[in-house]
Amino acid sequence: MLAVQTLRKRFRRPGRNAVSTAVDGVTFSVNEGCIFTLLGPSGCGKSTILHCIAGIEVADEGRIEIGGKLVFSGEDRKVVPANLRDVGMIFQSYAIWPHMSVYENVAFPLIYGRTRTPAAEVRRRVTEVLDLVKLTEFADRPAPNLSGGQQQRVALARSLVHRPRLLLLDEPLSNLDAKLRESMRVELRQVINHLGMTTIFVTHDQVEAMTMSDQIALMRAGRIVQQGAPRDIYLGPRTAFAADFMGRNNLVPGLVSYETRIGRRIVETELGPVDACVPDHLHARDEVFIVVRPHSMELVGPGDARGDGNAFTGKVAQVSYLGDVVEVEVAVGSLLIRAILSAYAEVKPGQVVSLRVPTGCCVVIPRDADAMAVAVDGRSAAGIGTPVAE
Amino acid sequence: MMAWKCRTPAIGGLRWSGMGVRPLVQSTLLVLVVLIVGGPLLVLLRTSFLPDGAMPMASLEFTFAQYLAVLSSGGTWGLIRNTLVYAAGSVVIGVALAGSFAWLTERTDMPGRISVRVFMFTWMTVPPLVIGFGWVLLINPSNGALNLLLQHLFGLSNNVLTPYAMKSMIFINSLAMVPTAFVMISGLLRNMDPKLEDAASVFGASRLTILRKITLPLLTPGISSIGIYLVMSTIQSFDLPLILGLTAQVPVLSTRIYTLSASESGISDYGLAAAYGTIFLLLAMLLMWMYFRATRASERYWIVGGKAFKPQRLALARSKYIALGGICFYFLLMLLPILILIWTSLLPFYRLPTFADLTHLSLQAYGRVLSRPLVRRAIGNTVELLFFSASVTVLIACFVSWFAVRQKGWAGKTLDLLSFAPMAIPPIVMGVAILVIYLRTPLYGTIWILVIGSVTVYLPFATRSISAGLAQIHTDLEKAANVSGAGWWTGLRRIILPLLLQQIVNAWLWIATHAGRDLSFSLLLMTTSNVVLASAIWLTWSYPDLSGASALSIILLVGLTVISAPIQIVAARKLERDG
Repeated sequence: MLAVQTLRKRFRRPGRNAVSTAVDGVTFSVNEGCIFTLLGPSGCGKSTILHCIAGIEVADEGRIEIGGKLVFSGEDRKVVPANLRDVGMIFQSYAIWPHMSVYENVAFPLIYGRTRTPAAEVRRRVTEVLDLVKLTEFADRPAPNLSGGQQQRVALARSLVHRPRLLLLDEPLSNLDAKLRESMRVELRQVINHLGMTTIFVTHDQVEAMTMSDQIALMRAGRIVQQGAPRDIYLGPRTAFAADFMGRNNLVPGLVSYETRIGRRIVETELGPVDACVPDHLHARDEVFIVVRPHSMELVGPGDARGDGNAFTGKVAQVSYLGDVVEVEVAVGSLLIRAILSAYAEVKPGQVVSLRVPTGCCVVIPRDADAMAVAVDGRSAAGIGTPVAE
Repeated sequence: MMAWKCRTPAIGGLRWSGMGVRPLVQSTLLVLVVLIVGGPLLVLLRTSFLPDGAMPMASLEFTFAQYLAVLSSGGTWGLIRNTLVYAAGSVVIGVALAGSFAWLTERTDMPGRISVRVFMFTWMTVPPLVIGFGWVLLINPSNGALNLLLQHLFGLSNNVLTPYAMKSMIFINSLAMVPTAFVMISGLLRNMDPKLEDAASVFGASRLTILRKITLPLLTPGISSIGIYLVMSTIQSFDLPLILGLTAQVPVLSTRIYTLSASESGISDYGLAAAYGTIFLLLAMLLMWMYFRATRASERYWIVGGKAFKPQRLALARSKYIALGGICFYFLLMLLPILILIWTSLLPFYRLPTFADLTHLSLQAYGRVLSRPLVRRAIGNTVELLFFSASVTVLIACFVSWFAVRQKGWAGKTLDLLSFAPMAIPPIVMGVAILVIYLRTPLYGTIWILVIGSVTVYLPFATRSISAGLAQIHTDLEKAANVSGAGWWTGLRRIILPLLLQQIVNAWLWIATHAGRDLSFSLLLMTTSNVVLASAIWLTWSYPDLSGASALSIILLVGLTVISAPIQIVAARKLERDG
């Protein structure tokens, strides 16, 4: 449905002669009816890609095809302008035209769009789509008199009314307050699924990305660093950045070694030898991190430390009772491991406990400079599972 | 449930179609702006290098004779000194008056603040031409009403006042400048955070100390840029120096250029006029540069109001009546010239106001002037001039603003710069250049050369105010229209224009009223066929038909006020509401 090939876009910094690369050779494709998310921190180029797809920005290199039709080619300098690309878009600012009513806003793409729609048809379709976003009673209301959530619905209705082939969402939920965001997220997903729209969704919020998408492309500094289904990325990060960005985790430094007794590679760490799925490209003596999600650990009795998976024992340094869960920090040697346990677990600071992690929950990633930076950052920000400074 | 799986047909061909209009508009605009701004400047330069007596555009010779004549003449330095003294003197008095009035209305509890504002806003449209004639009637040496009154009151035997002196020119011009200065300075006061003043009072400073040590220093950069702006516009002005300065034999640059190039004073010397014009242009550019130094690039859009603060108003107690009295005295000074004009227009000949004459008042003079074919033509021409100048300028300004604000790039920057350049071109200089260009063409003697001149000199104002409005419209609003399938043109028409409507209407009215009162183009380019109201007033006055000229002045004044008053009152009210 959508194919983006080695897209590149540079910006000239105002004032200086410096050029920064916003999008650095990005390639991906999206299947019909799929919700595809570009996820990443601010400034990673995700919005720029979306704008290039929409045609409101022009890339420098690469190709973009929508529904098999070439809309941009850097080689041939072919650019189909935005108004002929047949896409719908929700802007981060919503861009609701303040001088029009809700009805006029939604009817705009039908009246001034590529194909003129007969008046009766316009009325029918606008009514239909307003009904879909539950704004029927608001049709005649002037646009400035709308709440944030209602504006969002108008933006959605407007982006759907002309039945575009592709729906583009640019951080559509970021301007809403936390509660509304959650309910709009569910509603947005329902409407999109109901219509079977192919959708490109841009967000910096990993929870939004995971709940909304079929596929996620995690971006960093203009490149896609990992792409896959939400579950695959969350459970199988390939870099420290991916692990860190998708949620809280412990990064446990270690060395790959070959364990002759069980006939495969394990990781030697301060927690003891950890049985983990070591990817094929890592070899013995390679420096690695083991990514352990705080939720993946369970409390086991002191005698019971030999059960399935990896177990280790340490002293509880801190307990934070959050109500639905309890968060504990366990000191093991120089490491501080954070675990999230059931609210019913009875732990007290100073107590010696054993925690167990299933083998499948220990993801091994290379310990390069980049991963070190993430680890140091993570520790200073959240104090998660990295060597305790002396 | 809907069957939404059906898709609209495939995307069109790989062309920039829909955007095709944009490059076309852009290049047309570039050519147009270069022609109307750059053309006259080049011709002016060329003309200034002509030998004596040569007709412009008819000679290939290059000579510095004109410049040598200008520089060797002792009168030139006197001319420049006159110009600067006139401008600086009136700006110092005008800003001092306007500053105190603005402080009183913005920061004190003086009664009648709304009326003061409405008056000031409305007064901005009163033509200086009208004020000038009024003052001549009031204080002329032979039978000025005020002079005779003073003689009568104090038993003097000779005249106290005369309009024909540098002092009077400065005095009258500074009074006329107050409304504009007031509006600018009160905007400045509004944008200043009163918390800065409150902080000083928390630390024990007295009101006077705060005014001296906090308020004034904070306002200094803003006031100095307003001052430079006003000096710039005074130097470029032509009407008061013409009405008062010619008789007073106090020539300034603008009147000197006029007398050199207008045929009414004998043979026109275009070469010399152009040489003076070039020097005048350099002076104006120097001031422009100073203005930019004073206002940093980021504050260039001085038209935009910032955040409005709600200051604590100083309670004036008794002294508020003194303050109000002062302002009322100023209003009286502003009303006097208009009252005397009304009086004169109601009598067949100018006579001193007496109770006995009240019974002789009639509208005869109005009937008389309105029956003249020249005046009728002038009124028709004025309406055409106002309408076309304002409409064409605003239209060009809308496009220039879009390219300058939205597209940027070299074309946008060029357009922005070129459209701002006329700010430094005195209208009289522009007038000479236009005269030289169109003298031999069929356009000469039509209203259209006046329109061309007005469009050029008012383009900076229109572009500034519309760009400022456009900069506040989120770019997403336009992009949303494009993504919805609307092309550039449709987006501009359906989204941008409606949102800019207020700025467009304001700019239109401002240009209409200014074009209507302008004397520099209308006199310099005047023939019997393209006479407008302003030049007709001048002709009638010089005829001399004082009551006819007064009647025409009142007609012009009422006409301009009717056009602009509603919007000015709304603006003044809005300020009061927001403040």
